[in-house]
Amino acid sequence: MIRVFSLAVAVLATALAVAPAGSAEDAAVKKDLTAVIALNGMPCGEVVSFERRGENDYVATCQDGNRYRIYVNPEGRVVVEKR
Amino acid sequence: MFWMLKILVALAVLLAGLATSGPDPRPGLAEARAYPTPSPGCGASGEPKAAAPTLDLESLERRLRETKAIGFFTKLSLKNQVDDLVGRFRRFHDGIRGVTLEELRERYNLLLLKVLSLLQKDDPKLSQDIAASREAIWDLLADPDKFRTLSKEAKS
Repeated sequence: MIRVFSLAVAVLATALAVAPAGSAEDAAVKKDLTAVIALNGMPCGEVVSFERRGENDYVATCQDGNRYRIYVNPEGRVVVEKR
Repeated sequence: MFWMLKILVALAVLLAGLATSGPDPRPGLAEARAYPTPSPGCGASGEPKAAAPTLDLESLERRLRETKAIGFFTKLSLKNQVDDLVGRFRRFHDGIRGVTLEELRERYNLLLLKVLSLLQKDDPKLSQDIAASREAIWDLLADPDKFRTLSKEAKS
């Protein structure tokens, strides 16, 4: 019984330790996507969610309902494409 | 004159290095300094002038690369816009019609404003230091001789 309890505590502790790291990373990506959309003169407000499609390739959903694909093209340019 | 060459090299490194990550030690840049020109009217009435702030461009380059205030996409997009602006300056200095210094100044101001606004909340010190170098960098880009030297240094 003690072993089960210890295991449960360990799992809970791991979950608590990992979750904030993941959400901090998500927040950083959202902030980056928000900034790059604004930098390219597109309306957005704030990115509320995103989907990772590949390396340096995201689809972002904005507060105002706009959706954009943001990726780096083969020429090394950041492209912000309205969906 | 040698200090001017160092500034040009440092600027090229600064502009080219926006989107790259990690330290990029380059010998010869350690003493590179920019001396921002005072804003018009400062000290014009015979008041004692405050010492002009100096800016270590090597340090600025490193701080731009490493700052957490700007993410990967934003840094790369800024670099794209810096490259575009430098291309316009190149066309202007090559005498190609349709590009005016006034237009370049407007674009330069806008780009700098974007950089400053991206930095001011999370890295205000870097934002202030870049703002202090505004006129010094403009001088390097707008002067044909300095710009050509800069381009040569960037290529070599």
